[in-house]
Amino acid sequence: MIWFAWRQFRFQAFVVFVFLVVVALFFVFTGPHLAHLYAGLNGCKANGDCESLTNSMLNEYNKYFPFVQALSLIFPLLLGIFWGAPLIAHELETGTYRLAWTQGVSRRRWVVTKFAVVGVASMVATGLLSWMLTWWASPIDTLNASRFSSLVFDTSYIAPIGYAAFAFALGVAAGVLWRRTLPAMATSIVAFVTTRVLFVHFVRPNLMSPLKQITSIAKARNFGFSQSQSGLSFIVGSPYRPNALVYDTTVVGKDGAHVTKNWLAIHCPGLNNPQAQGVGKGLSVRTGEPAPFTSCVHQISASFHEIVSYQPASRFWTFQWYEMTIYTVAALLLGGLSYWWVRRRIA
Amino acid sequence: MTSAINATDLGKRYGRKWALSSCTLDIPAGHVVGLVGPNGAGKTTLLHLAVGLLTPSTGTLSVLDEKPGSSPEQLGRIGFVAQDTPVYPNLTIATHLHMGAALNPHWDAQLAERRMYDLGLDPSQRAGGLSGGQRAQLALTLAIAKRPSLLLLDEPVASLDPLARREFLATLMEVVAEHEVSVVLSSHLVADLERVCDYLVVLAASRVQANGEIDDLLASHHRLVGTRQDFDRLPDSARVIEASHVERQTTVTIASADPILDPAWSVEEMTLEDLVLAYMSQAEEQRRELVRANGGSR
Repeated sequence: MIWFAWRQFRFQAFVVFVFLVVVALFFVFTGPHLAHLYAGLNGCKANGDCESLTNSMLNEYNKYFPFVQALSLIFPLLLGIFWGAPLIAHELETGTYRLAWTQGVSRRRWVVTKFAVVGVASMVATGLLSWMLTWWASPIDTLNASRFSSLVFDTSYIAPIGYAAFAFALGVAAGVLWRRTLPAMATSIVAFVTTRVLFVHFVRPNLMSPLKQITSIAKARNFGFSQSQSGLSFIVGSPYRPNALVYDTTVVGKDGAHVTKNWLAIHCPGLNNPQAQGVGKGLSVRTGEPAPFTSCVHQISASFHEIVSYQPASRFWTFQWYEMTIYTVAALLLGGLSYWWVRRRIA
Repeated sequence: MTSAINATDLGKRYGRKWALSSCTLDIPAGHVVGLVGPNGAGKTTLLHLAVGLLTPSTGTLSVLDEKPGSSPEQLGRIGFVAQDTPVYPNLTIATHLHMGAALNPHWDAQLAERRMYDLGLDPSQRAGGLSGGQRAQLALTLAIAKRPSLLLLDEPVASLDPLARREFLATLMEVVAEHEVSVVLSSHLVADLERVCDYLVVLAASRVQANGEIDDLLASHHRLVGTRQDFDRLPDSARVIEASHVERQTTVTIASADPILDPAWSVEEMTLEDLVLAYMSQAEEQRRELVRANGGSR
């Protein structure tokens, strides 16, 4: 049965293999140049002018990066549509299931073998693409230091393998429920995109409870004041946490107080003069600004601190494994559902 | 003698619609059985149930004394040629034969290859490029190379031209003669069945109307023609299947174990086709009456 499952799948597998070879060639031709630019960056630290080198490297990457990331995001879905949806639906709609299911092979073995052969193939194909992309983008990922961002986390390392298993199983299950390929494809697209978006926003942040750290406000990457109709308010960014996933930051005083407009009016009277802020209404003011600004930030630092809630960089692989495992388990459940449906409803 | 197919009160329902209901029959093994009935009578449903593609909604069914589709071994003992003889258009004939070899416990590769050779089919040809007759022959080969004890064929010749039809049925007869295999063959054309079958099941309105060996059926059914008032002068053992009246004359088809000796009736010879049509029109008339009784809205 393994041989026959592979034989039926051979052509589709070949198409994707050719596609992966093309992508690999692209990476191989562009990768070394980008790595060279990155190596140049390490040298520049000695003589100082890193900015222009960094910019030229970013420009070079940005020529391709959006396309490569988009490809990696939709690749599992494409496999789900073109490998998963027709897997059983095509046999049902062309009537060949009557030939397949009357051979001397149990229905379970038939479903399980086809599901396993093509499912594992889609995980391997996506794994290969993800591995190539991770290698190719490693210089810029090091530079950006934001591995937890969705565009990196969801397109690199091992999480995409889980997405591939899930998209494939979704396609199979939709195909079995619809008994036709085309509506199964449409259903897979909607279900996959919905699941992924909801997961990123509501499930992933809650997989582990975030760490909380109290830091000095002076360590924040940026801060400023914002003038709005409700008055002047203090805004602050998070401290620099390379590769971490920062949820939010709050500013609190020793007794739980906040930086209110009244507090600012009392302690930073100079700020109330728009000229002193050096900016117009509603705009924020950044570091390196006039004296009232700097002295006010010092005032705030003395009485307040910042609480950062975040997932540290060290948890990156834990999250990757979680994500891959959850999606793969979901794929197995969908496979079970498909088998049950074939057995109970179509039989 | 084992049963090829044994059904008790078998029924299959899709939603509210019964594709087959109250089907009770026992087909002994060792026959070439014709399963005949109009389109939509439930022939395909019955065969799909017998090969395990469907599970019954009601009643019980055993095929070769086992539950259909209960094990790979059981599936391997039944050769099935589905309606329109499905094959994989993108795969070659050779790949189809490899599939059969890989998926069936008692595959006879020699038999399969010899049949392809005899038919003059190139094993490297894709199944999608075959004519209807060739495709049917491929499907039949896949079924018989399993060396089944029972061969089920669902309208195998319905879409074939007369020549391909004759060749297909000839092949089937060869197989039956060569290997000890029971055959159940469905068709809505009696002419196809008459030449190859020795046992008949008439299925109409999703019920079995008649079943038995063809010789017995022909011997026990009579068509009588007489004047109208003779209608109540039928033997007690007779069962009226169909009666039609014109002016003063009555034609009646009856099933009766006893010969008709009453001189009031003239007995006409009945063909198998007459017999089947009589049962079918009886079933159709009953269906219409039922619809009328239910208000006739549907």
